Amino acid sequence: MEQVLVGGLLFVVLLSLLASGIWVAFSLMIVGYLGIALFSSAPVGQVMATSVWSASNNWALAALPMFIWMGEILFRTRLAEDLFAGLAPWMGRLPGRLLHVNILGCGIFAAVSGSSAATCATVGKMSLPELKKRGYDERLAIGTLAGSGTLGLLIPPSIILIVYGVATEESIARLFVAGVLPGLMLVVLFMSYVGIWSLISPSRVPPPDAAMSLREKLWNARRLIPVVALIVGVIGSIYMGLASPTDAAAVGVVLALLLAWASGTLNRRTFVDSLMGATRTSCMIAFILAGAAFLTSAMGFTGIPRELARWIGEMGLSPYALLAALTVFFIVLGCFLDGISVVVLTTAIILPMVEAAGIDRIWFGIYVVLVVEMSQITPPVGFNLFVIQGLTGRNIFQVAYAALPFFLLLLAGVVLTVAFPEIATWLPSRMAAQ
Amino acid sequence: MRRFLNRLYLASGILGALFICAILATVALQVGLNVLDSLIAWIAGRAVGLLIPSYAEFAGFFLAAASFLALPYTLRRGGHIRVNLLLQHVPAGLRRWLEAWCTLVAAAISGYFAYYMADLVYASWRFGDVSPGMVAVPIWLPQTSLLLGLVVLTIALLDEFVTIVRGGEPSYEAQAIEGVLESLDETGDDAGKRGGG
Repeated sequence: MEQVLVGGLLFVVLLSLLASGIWVAFSLMIVGYLGIALFSSAPVGQVMATSVWSASNNWALAALPMFIWMGEILFRTRLAEDLFAGLAPWMGRLPGRLLHVNILGCGIFAAVSGSSAATCATVGKMSLPELKKRGYDERLAIGTLAGSGTLGLLIPPSIILIVYGVATEESIARLFVAGVLPGLMLVVLFMSYVGIWSLISPSRVPPPDAAMSLREKLWNARRLIPVVALIVGVIGSIYMGLASPTDAAAVGVVLALLLAWASGTLNRRTFVDSLMGATRTSCMIAFILAGAAFLTSAMGFTGIPRELARWIGEMGLSPYALLAALTVFFIVLGCFLDGISVVVLTTAIILPMVEAAGIDRIWFGIYVVLVVEMSQITPPVGFNLFVIQGLTGRNIFQVAYAALPFFLLLLAGVVLTVAFPEIATWLPSRMAAQ
Repeated sequence: MRRFLNRLYLASGILGALFICAILATVALQVGLNVLDSLIAWIAGRAVGLLIPSYAEFAGFFLAAASFLALPYTLRRGGHIRVNLLLQHVPAGLRRWLEAWCTLVAAAISGYFAYYMADLVYASWRFGDVSPGMVAVPIWLPQTSLLLGLVVLTIALLDEFVTIVRGGEPSYEAQAIEGVLESLDETGDDAGKRGGG
């Protein structure tokens, strides 16, 4: 019990450090330091150096800079234009028409990029002006973009699932495969919502563009073929056990460079920009993971997560009640913290509690990512909201209001994944033995 | 001095980026060899087993080097995540104090970390620890990359602290999101130019 109180105190210290503006990785290290120095006689500095060293030279984590780089390269190609031109002609008949381009475009871009903000920005810069020009409902245009942008976190390759996998020592390949069906489920949920909304209020959906023949449609979509091939190649080779995520990611970078070269967007500047961008992002994430690795071993010394697990266990909560409480906790935390920080805090402190409740670790990873997706579109700190604010000039609360239905749809997605865990666990269970 | 420090930070970033290229080269080469191996097996009926010795281990070392060497550069470019909700909503005077507090605390932790990393490197060197893979690499070698990154990071943080105390703006002000939008504008411009040209 005492340790639970101490744990609460350290948590308050952590939040204060974060609120004062200290970088996430340093805040984690300071709390780890306090944990060891105050509650055990272990040599803090040595624990810090060894835990960080062993967490940092990691083959599985090498997938991180590779996937980030691949996304950075494709982000600088004409993929956004290609997505709009290729997808739009097919959407004329669906209720809601071009609004679906936002959802499917984000879904496809999410499969080459692991970042939610990049997904949102890439698709939005192309689709928002086009939708506005044609007179689509602005609220729904913004909402679909904000909601579908979060797919970048779930649909593999997902940066945040790599972080979760490395921090929990789970197979990243299995996590990736587990994210596929929930990602598709969200696409279906979003598209159904747009469809139903449009059937209810048909007057607010502008008329379709001039119809195209099948040949024209296919011709317009031709430039999407290499990207789709890239997606199928990367995810397929992981699923079939042909390649580890790191192997697949390196091949993905090579193919992305070839694609950029073939489309004429690869030059010295885009190459250097993409490489340096990937270096910064991967450095930032790796440093947070280093801080988290130290915090995790520090927490092991204090015994706080174990006690917390026992304390929760004694309360006799059902897994559903525990998950409901965690969901509320994550949503509140996610209002102020970015997704990666939420995930590393989870793995350092909450995971033993979750395991004690008999919850599968792969499934829990998908659940956490779903909840983190919701936090991307909640004010005051929601990265997708910032991106759309930058794209549209609307203030963050207007954007958040437009995104509200999609926040609720994500919540529905969480409920479905809790009620039918097979959505996340079935596909990895069918994977080729690794 | 100013020029030397700026060059030091940029060099750290470039070195980090080169290690990311090294990961790509190693892993892609090994995948290429795997493909070649399968081809040989298919033609000659027997796989040769083409392998870069300890390639997974090397990729891990390169990753550690890339992550830590790029730390100061990433700091200067505002790449490290922090919660700036409070910072954005306090008066400029208080904000300066908060920034000074952040950089000083971070510099202290970073310096502490660097000291014990040096300790670890020294211990690995003294006991002659080598990596467990096929190629026995003296482990102090890759560990030194972490030490270097942390030392330069500590210098960079102290540098920021001095700048703030003297009344200047910290260099990491550019926000991550602005970065995303900036590069969007760039690609947008490029597309416009191509379209026009």
